[in-house]
Amino acid sequence: MSELDELRGGFFEECEDLLTVLAEGLQQLSDGDDDRETVNAVFRAVHSIKGGAGAFGLDVLVNFAHKFETSLNELRDARIPKSEHVIGVFLRASDILADLVAAMRDETATDDAAIEASLEEIVALIPVKPGAEKVDESYAPMSLDFGADEPAGFEPAALETLDFTPEPVAAIEAPVGPAVWLLTFRPATGLYARGNEPLLLLRALAALGPCEIELDTESLPALGDLGPEDAGLAWRIRLETEAKEEEIFEIFEFVADDCALEAVPAESGPGAAAAEDIPDFAAPAFDAPAFEPAPEPAAAAEPAPAEPAPAKASAPKGEDGGKAGEGKGGDGAKASIRVDTDRIERLVNLAGELVITHAMLTQRIAEAGLARHAAIAEGLDEFRMLTRDVQESVMAIRAQPVRPLFQRMTRIVREAAHATGKSVKLVTDGEGTEVDKTIVERLADPLTHMIRNAVDHGIESAEKRADAGKPSEGTIRLSAAQRSGRIVIEIADDGAGINRPRVLSIAKEKKLIPADAELSDSEIDNLLFMPGFSTAKEVSALSGRGVGMDVVKRAIQALGGRTIISSKPGEGSVFSISLPLTLAVLDGVVVRVADQTLVAPLAAIVETCRPTKADLKRMGPRDHVLLVRGEPLPIVDIGAELGFRPPVESPLDSVLMVAETEGGARCALLVDDIFDQRQVVIKGLEEGFGRTRGVAAATILGDGRIALILDVDALVREASGPHGAGHVMALTG
Amino acid sequence: MPLRDTIKIMVVDDMTISRQLITMGLDKMGVKNVVPMPGPQAALKALETTPVHLIISDYNMPGMDGLEFLLALRKSERTRKVGFIMVTGEHDPVVADLGKRLGMHNYLKKPFNDVGLKNCIEAVTGPL
Repeated sequence: MSELDELRGGFFEECEDLLTVLAEGLQQLSDGDDDRETVNAVFRAVHSIKGGAGAFGLDVLVNFAHKFETSLNELRDARIPKSEHVIGVFLRASDILADLVAAMRDETATDDAAIEASLEEIVALIPVKPGAEKVDESYAPMSLDFGADEPAGFEPAALETLDFTPEPVAAIEAPVGPAVWLLTFRPATGLYARGNEPLLLLRALAALGPCEIELDTESLPALGDLGPEDAGLAWRIRLETEAKEEEIFEIFEFVADDCALEAVPAESGPGAAAAEDIPDFAAPAFDAPAFEPAPEPAAAAEPAPAEPAPAKASAPKGEDGGKAGEGKGGDGAKASIRVDTDRIERLVNLAGELVITHAMLTQRIAEAGLARHAAIAEGLDEFRMLTRDVQESVMAIRAQPVRPLFQRMTRIVREAAHATGKSVKLVTDGEGTEVDKTIVERLADPLTHMIRNAVDHGIESAEKRADAGKPSEGTIRLSAAQRSGRIVIEIADDGAGINRPRVLSIAKEKKLIPADAELSDSEIDNLLFMPGFSTAKEVSALSGRGVGMDVVKRAIQALGGRTIISSKPGEGSVFSISLPLTLAVLDGVVVRVADQTLVAPLAAIVETCRPTKADLKRMGPRDHVLLVRGEPLPIVDIGAELGFRPPVESPLDSVLMVAETEGGARCALLVDDIFDQRQVVIKGLEEGFGRTRGVAAATILGDGRIALILDVDALVREASGPHGAGHVMALTG
Repeated sequence: MPLRDTIKIMVVDDMTISRQLITMGLDKMGVKNVVPMPGPQAALKALETTPVHLIISDYNMPGMDGLEFLLALRKSERTRKVGFIMVTGEHDPVVADLGKRLGMHNYLKKPFNDVGLKNCIEAVTGPL
C-alpha cells in the first residue's frame, strides 16, 4: 500500500500544478482571451484532477470535478456563452475545487454548503439535453495477433471476428525498407512573401530519414541583377526514407502553390531496418481502414494538429507557427523529475560545507606559507569558482517561480473584494521570478494579509473613488522582480494612501509614541508595523484576524527580508518586500571587534574608511558623527552595542563601515579591523538561542571558529546608548 | 515463457500519476517490459527506434489527444499494426467509434482497478 500512498502524495502535488493551470486559464478567459487552447487547457486540468481522484477513490472530489468538467465542456463546445457570469461561476468553482483538493490532502472536513452552492451554479449552466439516453459503454475488444514467430510458450490468441467490419482497404503497397527519393525544391517569390522558411521545410524533410541536401544556385542572377525579393535559390535533395510519397508532399502542402517540387524515386536503398528486432504482427485482422487525413469533425479536434506524420512531430513545425502542438502542450519539451526535498536539503548543506572547506583550505595554505605559489593560488581560484557554481546550481534547484503564490492572491483579492463590496482587480507582473522554495512557502501568509489589507484599507469605496475622479474599479498591482541580488515584491494599490494624521493620532492614543513626538512621514507610515498598533476598531472583520502588520513584518524579517512602505495621499500606497535570493549563503565582510570575529552582510556595506580628525565631528561631550562628503552619519559602536566592551573613547583608531539599511537609513558602524571579504554559509541561531539583538545568524569560518553575522538593520534601527534611536532617525529618516 | 515475460507495453499519459498507476498495475501483473512515455510526441519519437507490442494511452492529453495519436500511429508503416488500448475519463461513443475505425483494440474507462486493467489487456492479448 505504501507505494500507492506515495502515488497519492504525488497526485496532490500534481493537483497543485493543475490548479495553477486552471486558475491561470480562467483568469485569461475572464480577461477576454479567446484562444480555444485556453479553454482546452482549463478543461484538461479539471479532467485530470478527476481522473486521479477516481483512482484514489476520492468520490466527493470526483463528483465535483465531474460536474465542473461537464459544464466546461459546454463552454468548450460553445453551447454556453463565455459571459462574465459563466466565467464567474467557473472561478468560484475553481476556488472550491482547490479547497476540496486541500481538504482531501489534509483529510480535513469539507465545506459542504459551499460545495453544494457551487455545484448548483455549475449545474444550472448545463443546458438540459432532451432525453439524455444512457449510452452503452461496452466496447468489443479486438485481439492482437503476435504472429507465428513468437517465442515458444505463447499461444497466439485466436482472432475474433469483430462486430464491425473494417471497410475494405486498398492494399497498402508497403515497400519493404527505405526507398530513395530525388527531390528538387524550387521556391517561388510568393513562398518567401508569405513568410515561409525553406529551412523548416528541409528540416521536416530530414526528419523522414537520412538526406543529403545540395544548394542549387544555377538560377541565381548576378548580384547586379538581383531583386531584393526574388527567389533565386533551389535545393536538390536525396532522401532515404520509408515514408510514402504523400508524406513527402505533405510537408510541402502549405507551400505547394509557391514552389516547384519534383520527387522521383531513385534506386531502392539499403533495406536495413535500424530498429531493434521485434516480431512483426501478422497483418490481416486489422489492416487499419483507409485513413482520411481529417477525421470527422466530431473528433473534437482541430484537423491541423492531426496532420503531422509521426516523424515530423519532432521536427520544428513549419509555417503555421506550430500553434497547437508546441506552445502550450508539446510533451518532451521539458523533462522534469520530482525529488524529495530532504535530498535537496542535504545537497544544499553539502554545498555549504564545500564553501567552508574551501575557506579552510585557503587558510591552511596561507598558514603553510604557500599562498603566493602561483599554481596553488590558481587552483584555489578555480576551486572557489566551481564551489560558487555548485552552490548556485543547487540553489537553482530550490528556486521556484512565484506564479502559484501570485495565483493564490487572485483569489484572495476576489474574496476580499466580495466581502467589502468593492470592485478590485489584481494585476500581476513578474510571476516567473524565481525564489527559494522556502521563501515562496513562507511568504504566503504575510502576502495574503497584505493583499487583504490593500483591498480593505487601501482601496476606497466606489463612491469615494468616484468623488476623487478615479475609476470605480480599484487596482492592486502585485509584482516580483530581481534587483541586485535580492527579490523585491511590491504590493501597490491605487487607493487613498495612508491617512497619516489618523495613524499618528491612533499611535498617540495607544501610547505607542510620546504625545509630543514629531515624526517624519515615513516614520508615521512605519507605525503601522508597530506591535499593538492594529485594533479591533481599526481592523474590519476581513483583514483583522488577530494578526497585525507587526506579525507580517516579523514573518518577512524571519526570511531575511525587509518591508518598506511608501505612500502618497490620494494616489495609493506601495508595500515592498525585499528578500534574499537564498537563505543559505551570504557575501560578508569579516571584521574584528573586541577580539571577536563578526561578519557583516556585504550588501549592507556601502564604503569603509579609517577616519581622520577632519572626518569626525563632535556631538555632545563624548559622541561623534562621521562626515561623509558633508553628510553627518551617526556612529554605532558595535562592540558597545553587543556588550563586548564599553564604548570607545575616540573613533580615531577604529575602522568605520558606512552601512545602509533597506529603508535607506545610513550610519557608520565602528569596528576594530576588517579582515576579509568572503562567502559564508548561514547557520541559524534562533532554534538554539532565540532571537538575539543585533545578531542575524552565525557562520563557521575557515579556521573552524564560529562568527556571528550582524543584523545591520536592527543595529542601525535600535542603536541605543550614546546615540538614541530618535537621534539616528532624526538624522537619517 | 508466459506472455507477460515477452510482451512489451508502452504507457502514454501526460499525467505522471495516472501513468504510474498503470505501470504499477502492469508491474503487479508481472509484465516485465514497460515503457512509460509522457506524451504522444515523445512516444512517436521513441517508437521510431523501440517498437512495442501494445500501447496503453490516455485520451485526454495536451497537444495531441489519444485519437490523433492513434491516427499518427496508423499512418506510419512501422507502427501501423501496433496494439492500442485507450484510457478515458468517460465513455464517449464518438471517441469509441472513431477509435474502432482506426483500429483501436480496446477501451478502458477510468477509474479502473488492477483487475479491470488486466481484463482489458487480456481481452486483447490473451492470457498474460
